[in-house]
Amino acid sequence: MALVDPEFTEELERFGVDTTLECFNCGTCAAICPLIYEHFPRKMIRYAQLGAKDRILENSDDLWRCLHCGLCTHTCPREANPGELILGLRRFVIANWRGTANV
Amino acid sequence: MADENKANESVSESKVGVYICYCGGNISDHVDVEKVCERVKKVPGVAVARTNMFMCSDPGQELIMEDLRSGAVDRVVVASCAPDLHETTFRSAITRAGGNPYIYEHANIREQVSWVHHGNVATDKATRLVGAATAKAKQLKPLDPIRVEAKQHATVIGGGIAGMRAAKDLAARGFPVTLIEKSPFLGGRGAQLDRVAPTGEKVADLISELAGEIINDSAITVYTCSKVKDFEGFVGNFTLRFEKQPPQSAEDRNKIKEMSESGKGVGEFIPFVGVCPTEIPETSAEFAIETGVIILATGFKPYVPAQGEYGFGEFEEVITLPEFIRTLAESGKNGNVLEVNGRKIKSVAMIHCVGSRQIPGVHKEDETGHLNEYCSRTCCSATLHAANIIRETYPETRVFDFYRDIRTYGRGQEELYEQAAKNKVLFFRFEEAQAPVVERNGGSHGYPLSVKTKDILTFGEEVEVPVDLVVLAVGMEPNDISDLVDMMKLPVGADRFLLEVHPKLRPVELAVMGIMLAGTCQAPFDITESSAAASGAAVKAAALLSRGYVELDPFVAEVDLEKCTGTGACVQACLREGALRLVEMEVGGEKAMRAQVNPAVCTGCGACVAVCPENAINVKGWTLKQYEAMVDMIVSEESAA
Repeated sequence: MALVDPEFTEELERFGVDTTLECFNCGTCAAICPLIYEHFPRKMIRYAQLGAKDRILENSDDLWRCLHCGLCTHTCPREANPGELILGLRRFVIANWRGTANV
Repeated sequence: MADENKANESVSESKVGVYICYCGGNISDHVDVEKVCERVKKVPGVAVARTNMFMCSDPGQELIMEDLRSGAVDRVVVASCAPDLHETTFRSAITRAGGNPYIYEHANIREQVSWVHHGNVATDKATRLVGAATAKAKQLKPLDPIRVEAKQHATVIGGGIAGMRAAKDLAARGFPVTLIEKSPFLGGRGAQLDRVAPTGEKVADLISELAGEIINDSAITVYTCSKVKDFEGFVGNFTLRFEKQPPQSAEDRNKIKEMSESGKGVGEFIPFVGVCPTEIPETSAEFAIETGVIILATGFKPYVPAQGEYGFGEFEEVITLPEFIRTLAESGKNGNVLEVNGRKIKSVAMIHCVGSRQIPGVHKEDETGHLNEYCSRTCCSATLHAANIIRETYPETRVFDFYRDIRTYGRGQEELYEQAAKNKVLFFRFEEAQAPVVERNGGSHGYPLSVKTKDILTFGEEVEVPVDLVVLAVGMEPNDISDLVDMMKLPVGADRFLLEVHPKLRPVELAVMGIMLAGTCQAPFDITESSAAASGAAVKAAALLSRGYVELDPFVAEVDLEKCTGTGACVQACLREGALRLVEMEVGGEKAMRAQVNPAVCTGCGACVAVCPENAINVKGWTLKQYEAMVDMIVSEESAA
């Protein structure tokens, strides 16, 4: 069960992500991503939309697969900036590891 | 006997023209059309037999018209497709050639032959069908359509937006109109909205304008608090009796209370109530009107969720979209968070398809055993419109939208969906068999409810959303008008909405001639579509009235007074009230009872023909003699190749 946290998107703004809810789940980012890895990065973005922190932390390894190629950001029809979102999620995860996410 | 001889004589004189169509191969690929033509030429009474690639084309019709004009033929048989398509085409060709359109008989050798049989048997069957049509055609007599005077008056039942639109359009066309509304108010369900999608106009403005026009139009008489009690007559000549009563239902009395509390009076729009056009009656009164056409605009009611459906009736935080629209309209803006009854609403769930698109085996039938299997069509746009208002007015109130499919069809409506996404409404998609579950929130999030669902957009994972309020986007159900349905014998679809004659080509007419449809009594419509349907119905009604008379097909029962002995068997068998009765008349110097047909009411079903012991009643254009001639020819050796 992924618990939705309505306030999470605001929390993410502290990590430089303000486009979480722009995404409308079309999957163009996952289609263009050279990793061709499951639903990356769409799945992580969906978790971010929901505020499913547990899921993000459980799957945090995936965030470091990203090659920073920028194709997803380039093709996103909603200009939701998926590449930057992944980087923001990394910052969130690192802060969590340090135990400073809520500081 | 002398008469019968004379009749036979005229039959033997009939000159039948037979016109057989290739239908561009549709018929001739399987039926040897030329062979049929050669065989039919030998049938007694056939003066001319011709073939053509397309008999319905101008040159094909010209063949027939030329033979009629030259006097070569005086009865016409066309063997082609089903009569449904081109019977009227050929009847009108005969009329243009100066003939009577009812000296025509049709043989269907496409659907009934070439599309289902092949080879010699097809040619043989076509020959027999054409032969039978020829035998009948020999006996056809010129007939005149039945002409009925049409009362220059229209009645509209239902005072919502559709009813008012239809009444106003008819009055503008010059016809006096009576508008009958069962509640004390004009405006219908439309009055219970606020701003309407996609334009954002206020219904207050729309309804004030329309109701004002109705009230100020001297050609329109409005009867509120009135219910139809009795209906009789036929197209052009209906009689309606209705009763005006002091309001009795709790809903009406609540609205009257709201009206007095609002301080507004007659003729003014009261939000979520409507416009009260006249004083509310204190005593009952009965009225009767004679009217030429009736437009039904009896409207819809919002679906009421079952007890416990998505927590409805269990949790006070679960409300329907109409309730929410009113709440939203009436809550004054007080900061960036929506407040309902003093409660801050930081998180709203909106659930689509409640009481719509129900599936047998998945959803539970209502107490009458019905499921609403249709899409209510308006709720997606209305829901997203409300979601946009929330997000744009109260940016700190979040909206979570649970849908099966989003159907924001229509001009300017897909944009609402896009706008909702831009407004950061978060969507969840669920499968019909795994609908969201609304529960008391046990967690420590400070939200009273949680909505759980298996979310397709999260790759089928279970998600749980904590919320302060759940809004159910309820669908539309037709108002219960079973009394009118029984009285007027109206056709009702499996979805319980009224059923038009043809869904595409005759969408505002009912099978009962002279009764039209307007608005949501027919199907879920938005205001635009309701107005379009109402204007369409008004034009159809005006077209019918403006000729001053109505012409009906002459295929109705006819009594042969020389044979009728007044047994009354036909009257008992008659299925249509008022079509047949026994009347006293002079027969051979004595008074006797004899059957009499009211041709405007008779539907020509033939139930009377079957029971008459004297063979004294027949349906014109379909007499027993004509049937016998057809059967004789089908079994005769002459048409057997």
